Amino acid sequence: MSWTILRATLQQRRTALAWYVGSLVAYSWMMVWFYPKIGGGEYAKLIESMPPEMLQLFGSGDVSFASMGGFFQTEYLGLMWMLIVASAVLIYASHAFAGEIADGTMELVLSQPVSRVKLAITRVAGLVAYVLLLAAATFVPIQVFGPTYDINLSAETFWLLMALGTLFMLAVGGIGMLASSVFRSGGKASSIAAGVLVVMWVSDLVANFSDVADFFGNVNLISSWQPGKIINDGTASAEVWWLYGIVALVSLVACVFVFARRDVA
Amino acid sequence: MVVECEKLTKYYGKTRGVEDLTLSVPEGMVFGFLGPNGAGKTTTIRCLLGMLKPTAGESRLFGEHVTLDGANLRRRIGYVSGEVKAYDKETGRWHIDYVSQLRGGKGVLTDELLQRLEFDPSRCVKELSKGNKQKLALILGLMHDPELLILDEPTSGLDPLNQETVFAIIEERVANGATVFLSSHILSEVERICERVGIIRRGHLAAEENVKGLLGKRLRELNVTFSEPVDAAFLADVDGMSRITLTGPNTINARVKGDHLDDLIKRLATRPVRDLSIEHASLEEVFMEFYRDEENGASETSTEGGVA
Repeated sequence: MSWTILRATLQQRRTALAWYVGSLVAYSWMMVWFYPKIGGGEYAKLIESMPPEMLQLFGSGDVSFASMGGFFQTEYLGLMWMLIVASAVLIYASHAFAGEIADGTMELVLSQPVSRVKLAITRVAGLVAYVLLLAAATFVPIQVFGPTYDINLSAETFWLLMALGTLFMLAVGGIGMLASSVFRSGGKASSIAAGVLVVMWVSDLVANFSDVADFFGNVNLISSWQPGKIINDGTASAEVWWLYGIVALVSLVACVFVFARRDVA
Repeated sequence: MVVECEKLTKYYGKTRGVEDLTLSVPEGMVFGFLGPNGAGKTTTIRCLLGMLKPTAGESRLFGEHVTLDGANLRRRIGYVSGEVKAYDKETGRWHIDYVSQLRGGKGVLTDELLQRLEFDPSRCVKELSKGNKQKLALILGLMHDPELLILDEPTSGLDPLNQETVFAIIEERVANGATVFLSSHILSEVERICERVGIIRRGHLAAEENVKGLLGKRLRELNVTFSEPVDAAFLADVDGMSRITLTGPNTINARVKGDHLDDLIKRLATRPVRDLSIEHASLEEVFMEFYRDEENGASETSTEGGVA
């Protein structure tokens, strides 16, 4: 790995990163502030009277909105957080290889004494750093501001959210990086990766009406993300860890392999 | 040999980049690589830099096979592209520092190049004109005093004064032992600094020879005034003659190709000549002749001395 390239990679994205981190901190703080006001009680009854398909649309999953986990999953972590962080991660991933090839800046880097494998591994390390920052910007404010509003997550739950949230987004980013290592256009790479995720999301939604639509089954990255359960129960199933871990590992290793062998101009 | 291509072929799907390209550049030489847009110059350079994987054949630098992951070879190369792509939000100084760190230290020529090219490194790339971006590319490519300079249209966008400075810098690097592989379609710059040229046409090397030899042997401009009226047909059947025009009742202007001077002189001697000039055509005229031939259907490939 090259620290010079890692620093430059993150510097290139400093403005976007600052906006995402700032927005996530504000969003997380807003959610812990809102929870005592609207979580539970009559509002929970109103929400739970909605059709299950609509609740599924907001990522409510199997947890009750009346619970703290249900509130955070439906209002924030189940859909909006996923959209915000996945978009940030896919933009990073699409630019990591394909975007730089299309812009021509890859030529500048690869005309220097830098091996392709080292460059690709550094871009993967950049993704890990990027995702960790976004996960921290999400979960640290909940942990820090929470006690002020009577929201007390155990340290174990906090670390579980951090770790699984990071792994989930690494799996998403891995798909994006793999697409980016294959295609020449960053837009095409991010569209294809986003398309895969949208298909998973739609499949999860439609599965409420038809079992036939649930063709992803247990390998659906979207439906496997159940932060409400983690908040309520303090645990996550082993299958989810394996799923995110394998998808992240395989896609990220594959992107290094593909990039090392492709034309970059 | 510093640069070698052996039957180098690169196809982009079904589109030809270069085909069966064989050339070599010895140490210390300034080699000009000529051809119009789309002829395959940049493809060849990208294969040499390990950015493109050849479809067939191979390229070698400093005797080592070029691979896609050949970082060590690139340590000895300075590359300047005519289409500068840099990080728009960053300054020239940022780029200089970035490349310096990737190469393990500040380039020995950095300050000198900044001064001679009068480049202000504090400005963001997006604020730079085409010429200033080109100066940045030149600084990044030359600042580490590499053994091999691969220059792809290096003076693109520069004004004549800066072009002159760049030529002087290249000549100094060559005097210090550097080898130069210069791709260009600006023939005056090739004529000025190159010892030897390869002309690439439709992905194939059409010719390769010394610039002096090319200029000396290939094409001459003839102006002859006779003491009596003549007809253009007088020279039409002499081998190697082309573009024969009567510019006056007694005067003929024509081009003489190849080694047919002797035939021409013998024909001229059959009439009383009052004035005669035979000048070497410029490299540009030689080059245009290649492509005119191509348009006329000439297809043979030649090396040393032969003209297509």
